[in-house]
Amino acid sequence: MNAPSPALVAPRPERLRLVGQRRQTLAVMYQRLMFGMLVYAGIVAIIALRILYLAAFGDHAGRKEGLTALIPERGDIVDRNGDPLARTIDAWTIAIHPNRVIGDKPGLARKLAELMPELSQEQYFALLRSGKPFFYLRRRASPGLVEAVNALGEPGLAIQREPDRLYPQTTLAAHVLGYTDIDGHGVAGMERAFDKYLSDAATRGQPLTLSIDSRVQQALEHELMTAMTKFSAIGAAAVVMDVHTGEVLAMTSLPEVNPNAPGAATPDARFNRATQGVYELGSTFKPFTVAMAMDSGVIRSFGQQYNCPNVLPVYGHLVHDTHPFGRTCTVAEIMEESSNIGTAQIADQLGTERQKMWLGKMGFTGPVPIELKERGRALTPGSRWGPFETMTVGFGQGIAVAPLQLAMGYATLFNGGVYHSPTLIKIDRNHPLSRGKRVFSEETSYRMRALLRLVVMKGTGKKADAPGYRVGGKTGTAQKLINGRYSQTINITSFAGVFPMDEPRYVIVAMLDEPKATPDTYGFTTAGWNVAPVVSGTISRIAPMLGVRPDMNLEPDMGQVLPFVHDAKQDAKKD
Amino acid sequence: MSSRSFRSVFMVASCAGAALGCYLVSLRVASERAALEDVETRIVLAQRDMRVLQTEIGTRGRLSQLERWNAGAFALSAPAADQFLKGSFELARLAQPDHKIDFQAPVVLASAPAPQKTSPMGAPETDDSGASAAANPNSLLHEASLKTETREVPARQIVALPPTTPKSADKPATTAKPAQSKSVEKPGLAAAQSGKKLAAQELPRQASGAARPAIKKSVDKATVVTAKALTKPVRIAKADPLAPLEAKHSGNSKGSTADR
Repeated sequence: MNAPSPALVAPRPERLRLVGQRRQTLAVMYQRLMFGMLVYAGIVAIIALRILYLAAFGDHAGRKEGLTALIPERGDIVDRNGDPLARTIDAWTIAIHPNRVIGDKPGLARKLAELMPELSQEQYFALLRSGKPFFYLRRRASPGLVEAVNALGEPGLAIQREPDRLYPQTTLAAHVLGYTDIDGHGVAGMERAFDKYLSDAATRGQPLTLSIDSRVQQALEHELMTAMTKFSAIGAAAVVMDVHTGEVLAMTSLPEVNPNAPGAATPDARFNRATQGVYELGSTFKPFTVAMAMDSGVIRSFGQQYNCPNVLPVYGHLVHDTHPFGRTCTVAEIMEESSNIGTAQIADQLGTERQKMWLGKMGFTGPVPIELKERGRALTPGSRWGPFETMTVGFGQGIAVAPLQLAMGYATLFNGGVYHSPTLIKIDRNHPLSRGKRVFSEETSYRMRALLRLVVMKGTGKKADAPGYRVGGKTGTAQKLINGRYSQTINITSFAGVFPMDEPRYVIVAMLDEPKATPDTYGFTTAGWNVAPVVSGTISRIAPMLGVRPDMNLEPDMGQVLPFVHDAKQDAKKD
Repeated sequence: MSSRSFRSVFMVASCAGAALGCYLVSLRVASERAALEDVETRIVLAQRDMRVLQTEIGTRGRLSQLERWNAGAFALSAPAADQFLKGSFELARLAQPDHKIDFQAPVVLASAPAPQKTSPMGAPETDDSGASAAANPNSLLHEASLKTETREVPARQIVALPPTTPKSADKPATTAKPAQSKSVEKPGLAAAQSGKKLAAQELPRQASGAARPAIKKSVDKATVVTAKALTKPVRIAKADPLAPLEAKHSGNSKGSTADR
């Protein structure tokens, strides 16, 4: 029995190695196969899941994109009642690709010249032969013209719709709204100040609500335009403001600009006289001087006496009056007759430092605080602000402010003495009223009512009275500075009014630049004759709209001032 | 065996059915959503059209254009302070008739006080009508009022009693007339309001219009016969602001219909 040799039983070592290798290879192959299958199954599963997901939650094939909400290309601007002041519409545009024109070029040029005569036939032909890729022929074309051009049948003509800015009220509130350039970016007014808000896709769906009331704006513009034409003034500006919130209800600057065609306007027309222009507004400043003096304790009663000679020599200058008293007079009379001499003495008592402080508090020494970018900066005597300058500033010379600033000052003075910075955005939930700063005491504010009512009842502002609406205010006639000298004949006239005076709610400031005398005014160019009637006419139109009830029996407490007014007529009767 | 072998088939079938059902639901949802989107799109398109039309109307009827039309054609102006009324009482006051001197009225008034003065003196007198006025005016008053009531419109006179004042005891028709013309003349808001009110109240008045001349007659008679007491009820009816008198004047009545 020969036992098998171990060599026979045990495989040869190299064979053993081979088997082990094969198994290993097989295992790797299975592994790889399995891996590949898993990858494949994973991909299939992802696709299947995606399909299922799309079936369950996805959009269907016929879905229309972008029409689910009406979001204009650029946000609307509306007035405080929601009436549109600026909107973006789809306008027709006619353009041409000269290198794609295949027809008869001279014939096409002739027809284009017939339809759009702004260029001649030769110019059109040169344009067609220029080989340039693209030309606008007409933007904002009328549908009739588009139809006619389309009928030419030239494939090189491109007729498209483009968003275009439209101002439905044309010139109304043009200086507030501003205008856009041809690409739809704001370049003036609120269009410029709120360009980001109006063009941002997130915010442009909501219209921008201004504090402007278009009815008030229209009344103001019409009355002011009438006066400007009548008195041949070179310019005019006016502001209506809510006393308690600082909201600007109407603001206009004339001559006007049509924002639908801003290119046609002169630079003078584009200039916003209400916020950009600063003017020495004259006597309209006097109430501030008196109020400052009352708050500082310089004036204790409207019966306080001042010596008012015909001419007052001070600090090497002479101060004159248009209606000289030539006697002692009370504060009430100084205001009633708008005496420079009296006010100069009050300002002198007040002193430079206190005057500067008050004017600073009222915002009369810095830039005009408004959202618009077109805003000026008040001009003050600056480093030359000495005692004489204090006097002149006291009666409104030597300090130049924008009409809007003047309105702001009157609002501060008559709303109980609290300063709110003026705004062109409606005060509501989205734009709450800012915290005010107290400037004048409540008592001063209350007592000033009677004083300014007196000016309209008996003084220089009689023509500004609108019966029943208790208008109070102050006229201002300032000589215009021409080539460094005050002109004796050329004036800037202004009127700052508040109504109703027994419970002030609105302030109105109107200004005429270089009004001329007419037979109606007996040759006068002072504010009482030309700009005061604008205020009267405007107030009687806008007050009912603003909810001010006319009442012939209501008046502020006139007992504070009437005893101190020397009535010449009554004296004559007594004699 | 068969049920066991078919179980898998049933499973597959039910799974397929369930999946199909789910798919149908989602298909249905998708189609509903598509329909909704269609509606939404149509709404947006309609809004866009409205916006375009509103813009066009707003542009054509812009305030400056309205102002131009007003200057050229309508010539409307802002209401003056005295055209605003504080309430219904001021409105009612507009309907108060003007006091016109009527030559019958003074006679009546003169005759009325005379008997009263004389009676205390104790000397009975006879007035121009021939009746003795001195005796007892009170009884006469009662009788006269009773008569008028029975003849015409009793309710009205009773209602109207309080506001009477002896002086204005004129003819009812003539007094009422001025009231109407006054309200028409008032321009603006007040006129519109008062005109409307008057017009609205015109109908009842016309209904009683026929009765009115009769009243007048009876009143006249009564005044002639008796003392002042009689005149009271008559006067009230005349001054009644609820009865503006358009019907008597063709021109006025036309105006009133226009108001309406």
